[in-house]
Amino acid sequence: MTDVMMPDQQELVPAGRDAWRMFLRNRAAVAGLIMFFGILFMTFFGPMLYDEDPNDIVARPFLEPGTEGAPAMGTDYLGRDVLAGVINGGSTTLTVAAIAAVMIVAIGVTIGALAGFYGGTVDTVLMRFTEFFQVLPALLFAMVVVTLFEPSARTISIAIGLVLWPSLARLTRAEFLRLRNLEFVKAARAIGSTDLRIISRVIFPNALPPLIVSTTLVMGAAILFEAGLAFLGLGDPNTLSWGLMIGLNRGNFLNAWWTVTFPGLAIFITVLSFSLIGDGLQDAFNPKLRGR
Amino acid sequence: MANSDPPLLSVRELTVTFDAFTAVDRVSFDLHEGQTLAVVGESGSGKSVTALSIMRLVELGTRGRITGGEILFRLPDGAVIDLIQQSESVMRDMRGNNISMIFQEPLTSLNPVYTVGNQVAEAVMLHQGLDRAEAMDRALEVFELVRIPEARQRLGEYPHQLSGGMRQRVMIAMALSCDPTVLIADEPTTALDVTIQAQILGLMRELQNETNAAVIIITHDMGVVAEVADDVVVMNQSRVVEQGSVYDIFERPAEPYTRALLASVPQLGSMAGRDEPARFDLVGEA
Repeated sequence: MTDVMMPDQQELVPAGRDAWRMFLRNRAAVAGLIMFFGILFMTFFGPMLYDEDPNDIVARPFLEPGTEGAPAMGTDYLGRDVLAGVINGGSTTLTVAAIAAVMIVAIGVTIGALAGFYGGTVDTVLMRFTEFFQVLPALLFAMVVVTLFEPSARTISIAIGLVLWPSLARLTRAEFLRLRNLEFVKAARAIGSTDLRIISRVIFPNALPPLIVSTTLVMGAAILFEAGLAFLGLGDPNTLSWGLMIGLNRGNFLNAWWTVTFPGLAIFITVLSFSLIGDGLQDAFNPKLRGR
Repeated sequence: MANSDPPLLSVRELTVTFDAFTAVDRVSFDLHEGQTLAVVGESGSGKSVTALSIMRLVELGTRGRITGGEILFRLPDGAVIDLIQQSESVMRDMRGNNISMIFQEPLTSLNPVYTVGNQVAEAVMLHQGLDRAEAMDRALEVFELVRIPEARQRLGEYPHQLSGGMRQRVMIAMALSCDPTVLIADEPTTALDVTIQAQILGLMRELQNETNAAVIIITHDMGVVAEVADDVVVMNQSRVVEQGSVYDIFERPAEPYTRALLASVPQLGSMAGRDEPARFDLVGEA
């Protein structure tokens, strides 16, 4: 059988084109994807297209957008260009969110999968460990971590990762508990699969849809967290980010709305795009919706 | 029956407990090459636990423990090993390779996120060290063996795209993909409708002739027993109450329980002489 067309070589159900088609059918998800690419484009190519240093003082402070001599989004309390800030602030925010998300998924899925699959003592120990992190006041704990170490992007990512993984661990555990007693898991054992194989190749792909949705939401949460830390002055003061911009300008919100509204809008759009994409992925990963 | 050969599988005084409850109590039977052995009994009689014990799956993920007896298995090279004494890694190599199992629910026994071809190929790759393309060839072969029409096209389909009977054929294909010497079928037709049941049973019979595998079929349906079994083990409340050839069991059931089991099958012609449908008699009224 050499000239035969092989069925999908892909392991996962989202057999490429089908999954993509299901994703495209969800209009809101497509909108989310466009928003996300817009943010990415702005972050990576914006600085080239709009060549303005966000730290330069370009005009009088508090110039409202639309007034004469004002940049498109006005100026802040030092006369810096808000648009340049929004364009240049995204990379920190997105990097922190991405690193945090990787950490959250790695820790959460591993712990949740082991706890749910093995149950018993393993489950008890791992879940007590998870609960320990869950009962810590998240923002306070992250603040302590950032304060103890230097407030760099890396520290902030780790701090966010450490406080946000428990929800994903619990969700993974719940999915594994649900799936581990199903017949096809028994059948996988009956053909001689190892535990590792059953966890990673048999159960995990079935647990993916809620995990993906949850991961996109958690990335949104990570962005908000980063913004929150920066707002409280715990971000890296030398690295511009949306949160930092809001933090620095928060005292002027009532008399210069544009200084906080535009960075806030950038955060809002990014978080919203993640939620919408997550929703679309849920459709795409559901084999039962396919072929309709 | 070539009963002079040493048995392929010999279950001796097998005892399995779940905490304080004894689910299988000193069960013994032999299985020879090419033989079809039916284990019959009502729900909870211990027949499925017996099957899972042979696969050594009863201890995984349940509270079940094998507390006594031995399960002697003759390897293709003639060596006889006690499955109860084997490590989990030895058992993993045996499962699917030497001993395969078909489960009751074809609807849920297949992983919904993989194509059926992939799943069969997976089983082949686990045991035979083939690459994916070779494993797919083998999957196609077994699909054709179990008479799946348009087998090549089916390889790329997902379980939810197949009917119940087709899915059970895929399960059988998966079980046979590594040429096991013993095939355990746990209620293989219970979840299927009657016409499909007959097809699957016929198929299993044909396959047995072609592959000469020994089959243990677990069922509560005496009709199934009569159609496929050479020998019968009747279980009730964790114990074997009677065993013998299918003719003996049907012609001369010695135990009252076996007779009760046989009598529980609705008989064709029992309505003879009546013009209208009639309900079952209530217990004690008959």
